[in-house]
Amino acid sequence: MTVKTFPRGVFLPHYKEFSEDKSITTIPLPKEVVIPLHQHTGAPCRALVQPGDEVKAGQRIGESNAFVSAYVHASVDGKVTAVEPRPYFTGTKVESVVIEVNGEQSKPTWQERDVSALSIDQIKDAIKDAGIVGMGGAAFPTHVKLSPPTTIDAFIVNGCECEPFLTCDHRLMVEMTDKLLEGARLAQKVVGAPKIYFGVETNKPDAIEALKAKIAGAADIEVVSLDVKYPQGSEKQLIKAVLNREVPPGKLPLDVGVVVQNVSTCIAIYEACRYGKPLIERVLTVTGDGAAKPQNVLVKIGTPIGHVIEQCGGFKGEIGKIIMGGPMTGWAQSSLDIPVVKGTSGILLFSPAMVVETQHKACVRCGKCVDHCPMNLYPNYIGTYAETGRFAQAAEWGAMDCFECGICAYVCPSNRPIVQFVRQAKRQIAAARAAKN
Amino acid sequence: MADKKLSLTLSSSPHLRSSNTVSSAMRDVLIALCPVTLVSIYFFKLHAVFLILVCLAAAAITELVFRKVMNKPSSLNDGSAMVTGLLVALCFGPATAWWTAALSTFIGVGIAKELMGGLGWNRFNPALFGRVSVILLLPIFSYLSSIFAPLRPYLGEIDMVTQATPLALLKQGAAMPGLLNLFLAHPGGALGETSALALILGGAYLLYKKHITWEIPGSMIIAVFVVSLIFGQNPLYHVLAGGLLIGAFFMATDWVTSPITAKGKLIFGVAIGILIVIFRVGLGPTEGTAFSILIMNAFVPYIDRITKRPKFGEVAASQPTTATTGRPVGKTS
Repeated sequence: MTVKTFPRGVFLPHYKEFSEDKSITTIPLPKEVVIPLHQHTGAPCRALVQPGDEVKAGQRIGESNAFVSAYVHASVDGKVTAVEPRPYFTGTKVESVVIEVNGEQSKPTWQERDVSALSIDQIKDAIKDAGIVGMGGAAFPTHVKLSPPTTIDAFIVNGCECEPFLTCDHRLMVEMTDKLLEGARLAQKVVGAPKIYFGVETNKPDAIEALKAKIAGAADIEVVSLDVKYPQGSEKQLIKAVLNREVPPGKLPLDVGVVVQNVSTCIAIYEACRYGKPLIERVLTVTGDGAAKPQNVLVKIGTPIGHVIEQCGGFKGEIGKIIMGGPMTGWAQSSLDIPVVKGTSGILLFSPAMVVETQHKACVRCGKCVDHCPMNLYPNYIGTYAETGRFAQAAEWGAMDCFECGICAYVCPSNRPIVQFVRQAKRQIAAARAAKN
Repeated sequence: MADKKLSLTLSSSPHLRSSNTVSSAMRDVLIALCPVTLVSIYFFKLHAVFLILVCLAAAAITELVFRKVMNKPSSLNDGSAMVTGLLVALCFGPATAWWTAALSTFIGVGIAKELMGGLGWNRFNPALFGRVSVILLLPIFSYLSSIFAPLRPYLGEIDMVTQATPLALLKQGAAMPGLLNLFLAHPGGALGETSALALILGGAYLLYKKHITWEIPGSMIIAVFVVSLIFGQNPLYHVLAGGLLIGAFFMATDWVTSPITAKGKLIFGVAIGILIVIFRVGLGPTEGTAFSILIMNAFVPYIDRITKRPKFGEVAASQPTTATTGRPVGKTS
């Protein structure tokens, strides 16, 4: 079995043993869901409902006319109690629809249809109606991503899940292999790619086996085994490993003839086409050394993370940090009221022992960040220039091309928060460029 | 659960860290220096021990005092002062006076490092800067010697003949120690020049631990070999004798003062190697390695700027586009 990989990157402790064997579970509904009207890349939605309105699960409650945007739906039957700014996982407040959940939930009335009979436009409409966005975390509107202006010769399904701790995609590959395959086929049809690749890291042998068994004999699908190296699941690194193509700086996968979609997204595509079911729930991993019962759980969009944690056994001991997402790119939280959104792949509960030191020292130019940066940048220079306010030089050394994977800060012996410096620099550089124009 | 008081830390991603620290790396450098240190103690006994202790103490005290005066937190526990101290000691011969070694270390740690902003901000290798200050500030050191001479402890006899630098002997045309002796162990020159094998072992350890890469030591040693050959001298003697090996593995590879780009390291190493041979052939065996490294230290920011590697996917403007899709061909390599 050839195992492919990409240059640089870093080998991380993967911490998957907490939850990689846990089958997907469901939890009771919370009393209230908070559904942000902007939980995707692109233009925010405006509310279609107001306080007092009764809503049904799957009902569209937010939309935008912008090209790059995605509809937002109610995830439960309930009554709208407010449409107001609410805390969001990135630390800002986002206009959200607050719904009081009905005690009794009606049975879903999805109408089944034959997906093989659907035309490309029908598939795209189904995806758009369902409000599907990239569920790997970037939350880019899927119907837009599947409409590239270039010729696509490869569709890659991202089954890497390279972030430590997270195992939801792993479980989906094992437990919902049929739906995944169907969803991938639908996406392949839309983009017109002659071949599908499933990129899966070798720490998920059962997923690789399950996929290989299901595709048995299909000439246009290949399961590619990938080395367990971070950030293999990053689009550009995935394309490099699978096809040996490098997406140029500032460009997109479509510029090298490729479209990539996450495992969860493919399954959502299938469900939207087959049942007309909107994106109103997702599987995420509750884990960490501070989680009493680590597991992979299907959660309604808008559920407060406090409810999810409680239903999953609650805390184990003292908690020092709560992270939404993975430990390398996720967001630390200060409140248990933050809602789960379409791109939430995990809730990590860290004990105080796992909380990292925040004091940092001067850069000693050891070069480890340079050795491991997957984009071939110079994080040491970006960091020191940003820290001292020299943002133009930070840009020269690659600040704007950084996708914030976190490897530089991870390997740094001086514990420098380089990603934080990059974020500050990006803001300043963008402002300077805007001011110039 | 809502009423349970939580004390949560909010910080930027990433939320994991490797076990890399500056002090663990410095510890590894000290370990890598052990073999040659032990050989020097074997040959020079109390002279070596005393010199090393004086330099270590001077380095620690200098750093403590400077940081206190400059109102900065102590950084002794990062171990870099200890490394500088030991390296300075290894640059001196066993007959060196303790005040010379102490002042040298003070200048290296205090002026070349702490006054420049502390670890990470210095432009020049602190140990080498301290070492050459004896030459550059000769009048001051001579004056000190005249005052402190009576305070010199008696630590045993030193055989001045065998203790001479092999390169000096080469210049004088006197009998050289055999190549095997040079390689294994010989009591000539500075403390850090007593065993090529010990230094190579230390260098190999640093390479294995990935604290240094092959570019600088490799290019430096090969450059010295080739250029000395061009000058009609014995290349093996030039590689094994003098401060080349300790310079190649421990001085030129100093993180702070060497290039961070791979190409830059090669240019740096080659340039140092060429300079070393020019110094030795032209000026005689006086710290050619130290001066060569210090000279190239000054060029490091410039070298980094001109050797920046292309970003992931960066395509040269002249690259063709594909006919069918009109999109630029991404780099495939």
